[in-house]
Parts: sequence; C-alpha cells; structure tokens
Amino acid sequence: MTSGATGSSNPFRTGQRLSRTPDPCAVVVFGATGDLTARKLIPALYNLARGRLLPAGLSIVGFARRDWTDEQFRAAMKEAVAKFSREPLQEDIWDAFAHELHYVSSDFAAADGYGRLRDRLLKQDQQHGAGGNRLFYLATPPTAYAAIAQRLGEAGLVKGGTDGGWIRLVVEKPFGRDLATARELNQNLGLVFRERQIYRIDHNLGKETVQNILVFRFGNGIFEPIWNRRYVDNVQVSVAETVGVEGRGGYYEEAGALRDMVQNHLLQVLSLVTMEPVASFRGDAVRDEKAKVFQAIVPIADVARQTVRAQYAAGAILGQDVPGYRQEEGVAKDSVTETYAALKLQIENWRWADVPFYLRVGKRLPKRATEIAITFKTAPLQLFRQMGSENPTPNLLVLRIQPDEGISLRFGAKVPGTRSDVRPVNMDFRYGSSFGVEAPEAYERLLLDAMLGDSTLFTRWDGVELAWELLTPVLDAWRSGASPLQSYDAGSWGPDAARALTERDGHEWHRM
Amino acid sequence: MAQDVTALEKITGKEIAVDPAGIEDAFLRIWRETAGDAYDASTVRLRVLNLVAVGSGPAAGDSFDRVMAVVPQRHPCRGILAVADTAASGVEASIGAHCWNAAGTGRHVCSEEVSLRGAPGQARALASAVLALLVPEVPVEIWLIDNVDLDGAVVAELLASADRVLLDSARSANPADAYRAALAVSDERGIAFCDLAWQRLAGWRALIAQLFDRTDAMAELPRLQSIEIVGGDGRPSSDALLLAGWFASRLRLQPADVSARVDGFGATLYDGTRGTRLAVTSDVQRAPLREVRIRTERASFFIQLHEDSGHMHVREEWPDRQTRRTVAMEPIDDAAVILDALDDRDGASVEIDSMRAILALST
Repeated sequence: MTSGATGSSNPFRTGQRLSRTPDPCAVVVFGATGDLTARKLIPALYNLARGRLLPAGLSIVGFARRDWTDEQFRAAMKEAVAKFSREPLQEDIWDAFAHELHYVSSDFAAADGYGRLRDRLLKQDQQHGAGGNRLFYLATPPTAYAAIAQRLGEAGLVKGGTDGGWIRLVVEKPFGRDLATARELNQNLGLVFRERQIYRIDHNLGKETVQNILVFRFGNGIFEPIWNRRYVDNVQVSVAETVGVEGRGGYYEEAGALRDMVQNHLLQVLSLVTMEPVASFRGDAVRDEKAKVFQAIVPIADVARQTVRAQYAAGAILGQDVPGYRQEEGVAKDSVTETYAALKLQIENWRWADVPFYLRVGKRLPKRATEIAITFKTAPLQLFRQMGSENPTPNLLVLRIQPDEGISLRFGAKVPGTRSDVRPVNMDFRYGSSFGVEAPEAYERLLLDAMLGDSTLFTRWDGVELAWELLTPVLDAWRSGASPLQSYDAGSWGPDAARALTERDGHEWHRM
Repeated sequence: MAQDVTALEKITGKEIAVDPAGIEDAFLRIWRETAGDAYDASTVRLRVLNLVAVGSGPAAGDSFDRVMAVVPQRHPCRGILAVADTAASGVEASIGAHCWNAAGTGRHVCSEEVSLRGAPGQARALASAVLALLVPEVPVEIWLIDNVDLDGAVVAELLASADRVLLDSARSANPADAYRAALAVSDERGIAFCDLAWQRLAGWRALIAQLFDRTDAMAELPRLQSIEIVGGDGRPSSDALLLAGWFASRLRLQPADVSARVDGFGATLYDGTRGTRLAVTSDVQRAPLREVRIRTERASFFIQLHEDSGHMHVREEWPDRQTRRTVAMEPIDDAAVILDALDDRDGASVEIDSMRAILALST
C-alpha cells in the first residue's frame, strides 16, 4: 500500500453511504480533444468532483495530437462542461477542478510524447501525493489502442509511480471486429497490461436500469422461483432506435448492427437476465456467472434460420421523410451493412434449456426503446375458456431500459359483468413517477468504479471472446451469402423475415 | 430534484369529512381530474411510506406544504398533517395534492395530502383520525415540525404506530434536551429516530471521512492535536455539537477538562495516553456550522462553508504538499433534509453514539 492509497479502517466511514472514495490518482485521457472526452468524460469527472466523490489529489491529463496548451485544454473543457454537464457549471467549483486539468500534446505513436507525459505525472505525484496511481483512458479510435499500450509500456508508465501505485486501463468498445481481431487486440494489450488492469467499458452497463436488472431479480423473493424454463416461455431483448447513422456512416459501414450492439450490449443484457444468482458482489462473482451463460449459449448452427439481417430503405419516422441507409453520408451506394439484426439463441443449461431467446436491434424503427420482455407460459388449465372467455393472453413481464424506464407486468383480470370475461391489464412501475431524482450519467458511475478498482460492470476478456466465438461464424456466414440481406422501410418494425423468426416457433415479437 | 420534474399545481382546500373511505374516493377523483387524458388503466398509485407531520399553528401547514411539494417525487407517500388549531371545532379535514410531470415521461403524478386540524383538547380524536388514514403495510415516519415534544398528547398517541420519529434538535432551545428525549424514546420504546440536525451534517461527515480515506492521513489520527468546530449564533448550534460528539465517539475518546467559554466550550479528549484539544465555538453573526479545523502533528485539514455560494472549500496542508478543492453542498432546507433522512437508514447507531458523546461532554 502506498502513502497515497486508502485504508480500510477509517473510523469516520462507519454509517456513511459510501464505504470509501477513490485513491488520489491521475486520470490520463487519450483522445482528449475528441467528442467522447468533451461530451461524456470531462462532464462526468466534473460532476463527480462537484458531488464530493473524488479525492483531493486527483489530476486529469489530456493527451492528444492537437497542439494545445493547458489553458486551451481547460477553456475547451469548460465549454464542454457548460454544454454537456448534467449539473450546471459553477465557477468556483470549476476553477478548483480546472486547476488540476493538464494537457500533453503528442501523436499517439510518438515516444517523446510519453516521456513528457511521464515527467508530468511524476510532477503530479510529487505535488499531490498521488502515489503513482494512474487510470489511462483510451477515448481514441481502436486502431490506436495497441500503439498507445506499447508506448506506455516502453515509457515505463505501467509500473506505477515512484511509490508503486496501481495502474488501470479503460478501453472503449468495440473490442475487435471479430474473434481474430479481438484476440489480436487483447494480445497487444496483454503485452503491457494484465487482465485485472484492463477495464473494457460498455457505457450501457452503467445505466441505472441495467443495474436494476440484478436488483429486480435478486433483491426480490418472488421472481427468482419462476425465472426458469418451467415458467418462462420465451425471452426477447430488443433495442430499437429511431435514428439512422447520424453522420457516422463511415464507422457504421465497418461495424453494422451485429458488431455495434449485439456483440456487446445485447449479449451483456442477456447475461444479466439469465445468469445464476451470486453469493456476493465481491471480486469477479458477477462476471464469473455471466461467463457461464456465454459458455452455455449454443453455437448458431443454422444461420439462415436463426438470424436475420436487414438494411433500412427510405421511409418516414415520426412524420418526417428519411433517406435510406445507402443514401446516408459516408455509406457506399451498394452497401451490404446490416442496420437491423435479429437472432434466436438457446442457452443449454439446467435453468434455460429449450427456452428460446430472441434478440433484435435496429435503426430507423418507429420508436426508441430498449426492453427485455419475458413471456410466461399460460396456466396449465384454460379454465375460463371453458366458460366462454377467449384464449388467455400469457403473462408478460417487461423490463424497460430506456426511455420511460420501468417494469410492467401483464396479467388477466375479470371484466366486470355477469360473464367470466378475462382481459389482459398492465401493472406498471415507472422510475420517473417513483424516483423524481436524476440518475447519474453512466460514465460517472463507471469512471468512479474504475478509480475504485471495482470491475463488476466492465467486460472481462472471456466474455468478449465468448461473444465473438458465438457471432464470428454468423458474420462469416452472412459474408458468404447465408441469410440474405433483407430490406425494411424506415419507420417499420423491421423485415418480414424477422417476424418469421419468431412465428416459426409459434411466438411473436413483443409490441414495444 | 431532477430538473425535468416540475410541480404543476397544488390542489388545495377541499374540506371533507374525516372518513377514510370518503377520503380514498376523493383522492382517486383528484388523480383522474388532474391527469385528464394522461390517466389510464395502467396507472398505479405508489405509496412507499406514510409521512405524518405533527405541529401547531399555520406555520406548520406551510412547512408541511413545502416538504410535500418535494418529498413525494422521490418517496411516493401519503402525507398527513395533524395540527393543533384553536380555530378548529372538533377535528376537521381537508385534502390536497401536489401534481407534477414525472422525469422524462410526461406522466402525471400526484401526491396525497390530508390536513387534519384539531381543537385544543381534541388530541386523542386527532390521533385516531391519523391512525385511520395510514396506508397499511408501509412505514410510518412521524415528523415533529415545531419542536421536540415527544410527550405531547398527539405524538404520544401516535408513537405506538411509528417506525421512526423525525425531529429537529436545532429547533430546540436546548439541543441537549432534545437529544435526551430522542434517546429516551429509542431506549425505552424501541422506536428509531432521526435528528434532522444530524442529517444536515451528512455532507460535512462525508468530507471529513474522505480526508482520512488515505493511509497517510489515517496514520495521523493517533497524532491528532486539535479539532476546532465553529457554528452557532452566540452559542454552539446543534449541528456543531453533534459533530463534536461524532468526533469523540468515532475516535473513542473520553472527555476531560471541559471548560465553558463565552461562545462555546473547550475540552480535552483522551484515549488513555494522549489528549486532543476540542473547541466548539460560535460566531455571533453566523448561525449554522461553518468551519472545521483539524490539526495533527504533520498535517492540517480545513473545511469551510462559503455562505454566498453554499459550496465547501476543502484544504489540506502537508509538509510536502497542499491541496485545495471546492465541492457542492446540497441544500439543507427541511424538504431536502427529510429527503436525505428517508434515504439514509444506515447511520442510526452512529447518530446515537454521537448524541451520547456530546451529552457526556456537556455534563
């Protein structure tokens, strides 16, 4: 333990909501002049500082190519906080925060820049007693990851400071574009960093409502007993977006819906919905259970029957005409990149055998929504059908991740009258109606966790690898023509083939 | 409170008979009338607690109203005000609600508020009306608006149903009396309490704890030389006293050499071998807690409340470094503090220890 590290027996912590604050450290942001830094990272750090969640002795060093001074960096970040922060910019708090903002101008591949970074960090250590604790954040294109890691290693920046503090690396998705590139990236990072030092961030996992999946499942006694193949008929995870590629055509052409969302976000959410209970949230408990789910997912043998890929054509969203994908800026006129993907998966374990899991994600769909829909089996005896009522609608539990976050449960109720008519009704819990408090930004939670060394909400390598092992054959098959690219009108719920994916099993997509 | 949670309206003044079933129906009508088209069959009334406010006079009604404009947005609840009113004949009731658009959803949500006024001598009837109106199966929090009178007739009747009492020792002429009363309720009747003066200290306690998260700062605790707390208007405020008690109890120090001063008191706190000087002083011009200074052999720590901005300035001085930062301090009006108290149920034993420690100091 270094002189700057935190202890565990602080007598003043008893009875406090937080068990500790992070160690003093330096946060080094690579890609400091980019969009992510301005929109998310610096506003998140400012809000954490404002809310008394950061320690004294924390400094932030921006690292990027642009030839900026400390003052220019501070001015740009002040503008960013004023524009994007959840809490308003307040001058005196900003002034104290900005005092610890620094900037190093360098190409990511240039060794001398890392020498200057090292000197700056050593100076910060001396001034703040930060003990050599460092959080490196790669807010750069993935193509720069390997070079940055290599240069950090060469510059001796991953050994901790003079006092031997902790070193952590935060990496933004995408983690590769298939199994081979993910392994290559991991090997490159692994040459310099150990796995326990690498924090692969998926900001969706920092959202309150995603975290609430675990609270809902394991903080209540009534759901877990029915959370299995005996009672669950099918599970659907859907991410619908109304937007198109929003000027990111170049990136999206290389990614597509499967890489952009399914490989990380949808599979992560699926693992939270299906994992076994943990005994505690210590260490790797949650990530261990998630990995077991990935291991139990049956490889997709019949890509043509189990997957659908499609691309949006021109249409209308919310009353506005919108162009087709191939008319978007930066998109090839003959592009075969999918903007919609749907899959049927099976999890072969004791809990979920034979329960189909349907995943879908799409751009330019009629509304923006992320939901998990769990359809339960109908009652064993259709008692009220014998009394003239229609076929019962199965119970449906919907966990809404965004927007209008909440949970609803559909069940049958008797329609008032002399007949025994049963009508489905919804019982609805809405976060917005119940907790009129603004949730912290996902990046605030995740940055704080990374500084505290809590990797629960970050993706471990085995999770990444297993996800790519599942999806790379799909990408290969799609490339070779299996499951031909479908088209759907912008503003529709996707192609007919997606409907067929569920109807083939006697199911239908949950109406969002 | 979230910026997109906006109070739309206060619906007030509907006089109604003290009839629980009638009041339930009236609430349902209010929801439907105010929600208009937004009301649909999927709406659920969520009530996670009963907040029963006990007070006297019109000022109590105003306090209750301010709190109910805020608290239900985070803790959906039924609010019941029981107030002694010389103008009342028997027990009179009115119902009201605050309605707002829920964060981001455009949903219309309303609180439920019942105001009960009882003429002097009607304490038992007033309490019985409160009991009849409690939402079952959810906690009952009793908030003493005016003063800490746990022996008052209405409160005495309600205590049997209470899960916790919210009191404010800062409103007491002698905070020590409030501590003793609260501890007696806890010790003798097993009812939890939360002193809002203690809750106002949450930000201070968090910052002080943060100062000692570092190992090098922790190592300084056995070498603590002095703690100076400044707060109060002519005499130490309740929050300043509670903070002194917190230091003594958390550090397991025993008081000795207590000496009164014109503006407060001083004492030496011992752990058997060493002494730490404690001074709690007030400032005629400023009322609440405003400064804490902690000195050890090697380091000094300063936390100061900047009155204009409401922000806290934190400074650490070490032989080889000095750090400064400025952080936000949340508002500490009644609504904010009650919100905080409803969120925080983990620190009760620390609060009790702090009260006992300051009582030991003051005796």
